[in-house]
Amino acid sequence: MNLLAVVDASVKKEGLQDLTMQRTVSSVPFAGRYRLIDFTLSNLVNSGVSTVGIFPSYPLASLLDHIGVGKSWDLDRRKNGLYFLPVTQRDGGLSSVGAFAALEEHIQFFTKSNQPHVVVTNSFVITQLDFKDMLEQHIDSGADITEAVSQGVSLKNYILSRELLLELIQTHQDKKVVSVEDVVNLKKSPHVFNEYDYKGYFAVIDSIQSYFEASFALLDEENREQLFLKDRPIYTKVKDEPPTRYMNGSKVKRALIANGSTIMGEVIDSTISRGVYIKKGARIEKCIIMQKSSVEENCDLKYVIADKDVFIGEGVVLHGTAEHPIVLRKGETVRKEDLR
Amino acid sequence: MNKKVVAMLLAGGQGSRLKSLTYTIAKPALPFGGKYRIIDFPLSNCTNSGIDTVGVLTQYQPHVLHAYIGLGTPWDLDRHNGGVTMLPPYAEIDGNKWYAGTASAIYQNMSFLQTCEPEYVLILSGDHIYKMDYELLIDYHKEHDADVTISVLEVPWEEASRFGVIHVDDKMGVNEFDEKPEKPKSNLASMGVYVFTWKKLKEYLESDNRSTASSHDFGKDILPAMLSNGEKMVAYPFKGYWKDVGTVESLWEANMDLLDLNSGLNLHDPDWRIYSSNPQLPPQVINETGTVVGSMVNEGCVISGEVVKSIIFQNVTIKKDASVSESVVMSGAIINKGAKLHRVIVPPKLVVPEGFEICNQQGEVILLTQEQLDEWKESVRK
Repeated sequence: MNLLAVVDASVKKEGLQDLTMQRTVSSVPFAGRYRLIDFTLSNLVNSGVSTVGIFPSYPLASLLDHIGVGKSWDLDRRKNGLYFLPVTQRDGGLSSVGAFAALEEHIQFFTKSNQPHVVVTNSFVITQLDFKDMLEQHIDSGADITEAVSQGVSLKNYILSRELLLELIQTHQDKKVVSVEDVVNLKKSPHVFNEYDYKGYFAVIDSIQSYFEASFALLDEENREQLFLKDRPIYTKVKDEPPTRYMNGSKVKRALIANGSTIMGEVIDSTISRGVYIKKGARIEKCIIMQKSSVEENCDLKYVIADKDVFIGEGVVLHGTAEHPIVLRKGETVRKEDLR
Repeated sequence: MNKKVVAMLLAGGQGSRLKSLTYTIAKPALPFGGKYRIIDFPLSNCTNSGIDTVGVLTQYQPHVLHAYIGLGTPWDLDRHNGGVTMLPPYAEIDGNKWYAGTASAIYQNMSFLQTCEPEYVLILSGDHIYKMDYELLIDYHKEHDADVTISVLEVPWEEASRFGVIHVDDKMGVNEFDEKPEKPKSNLASMGVYVFTWKKLKEYLESDNRSTASSHDFGKDILPAMLSNGEKMVAYPFKGYWKDVGTVESLWEANMDLLDLNSGLNLHDPDWRIYSSNPQLPPQVINETGTVVGSMVNEGCVISGEVVKSIIFQNVTIKKDASVSESVVMSGAIINKGAKLHRVIVPPKLVVPEGFEICNQQGEVILLTQEQLDEWKESVRK
């Protein structure tokens, strides 16, 4: 495959702050068993791209732990494969995709590779993009830069030649552009721009609200059928969790549930990650409960996002709204006494 | 490569009483518990017990097993030194060496054991569901300075004749070993888990191989020979869940035991994980019209019907108004609209047609087959 990939995992989204205290946006858990970056990486490997550079910024421990040597995506190769290229630039360029200052820090990744084209992608837009198809269209169009769009929304995925990207990286200060996204948005001359129209499911995750909406959208079969394709699977770091058990007395409707959980209570319109405990008499509606969290007996939760390892004590009642869900941060403990 | 303990896992079993489930796969490869195969249990036990060198002896329909075990990665057995080694029968200059019995299978792989130079050899079977710390067994063997230690457990008296039955003295020394006796004199059954001191085992395997009268079996030949020669044989009492899943009924029972919190078979214990290969599948979905109670459901399932007291493997679809109870539905099966299944095992990928009903209230558990469904479709047409 003559396409080289840059996954810009350094982009920060202020609206996701509650979920990114200890992780990058790219490693935010999603849909019960995935991290946001899984969708991007899976699209790349499903499109035949085998050289992938990930450019993350601080704090990257959780991303590093998730990605490892790229084995889950078959990117642990002798030839090509996965390159983890952390960037130190903290200010500037971190809010738009394909920041030149960041790419410059690892210029060798571009000079050493020999693929003629580069896809600059991100890890906060969920799609089933076929980069092979996008590259073909890019080449046919004769344009300098192709941007993927869907229903008038930019998916922040760009294809350009390696030569042009190198030139942009080296001259970005003179030309007063900060990123590939910036170049495309400004429609900088003398480049010729092209749009690739993507038709499948997509979600842009840039705030708690959009995160929330995208999660619930997957309770609709139609959306799942567009995102979870048999011949283009979404890969992730797998865990050895047993199947989920539904105890007598449990009641579950419209829910997306990962393995290793124990459900004794009621779960409606919700997403449950791996290894979650929902105890007897607890009621969960419109919630996202992440890995290894525990909801004790007789809790009543509505519009709540509980991050990893959250403990919700017996009888806790928490009601958020669709516009303002309550977010419990990683490792947090909430008890009835605390709420009085 | 000097290894203190090498495990030899006998995985050649045909399991003919499991009917169509084992036509094309060996019994140890049989799906169990929503995502596992039976062989995951002894392999995970090895890893959890700190045993990192395992020979897997295959013979009957080995390709699924070989592909499944691969390099041993799911069980952390992909090691530079040791790890898992697949041991199918092979040909030598003087002929093919099929495994005649359990002992001959080990004998034919003597060269593998020689390279490992073990002190102890742990013989395991790939047919049983149990969680066991083999390290405790080996410590026991060492403490008793035994030549062979047999792991035993108490079984109901009426079932004892299905097993190798063991008589012990008050110090757990074995003084009799009866392989499947008609009238058992004890209810202590052998689990088919043995530890041998390698030097001793080697001696007996060699002499057993020379004997033309022998059936080359541990239970029938090696152990009785050791006993009559006065070798030190002790029994290790195992307390815990153990099940030989030899029949459709016992396979179903073992699956149902997973749903009983008091059965002793807990897969949700983070301190003793059962490892397995993990396919890349989306989470399970319980739809608006779906209900699931008292059941276990794996990834990739879409449940729009009713599931009660059942084990549902990965990628199973249960459509609207379909109902599955006290059943085991294996991977990729589709239960179409309005179908009703009670006390049934549905083999992998079987498509149960709309409106098909099989409700066996208290009787035998039924293993559904394609033929049965075809017959039903035929009868509906008439």
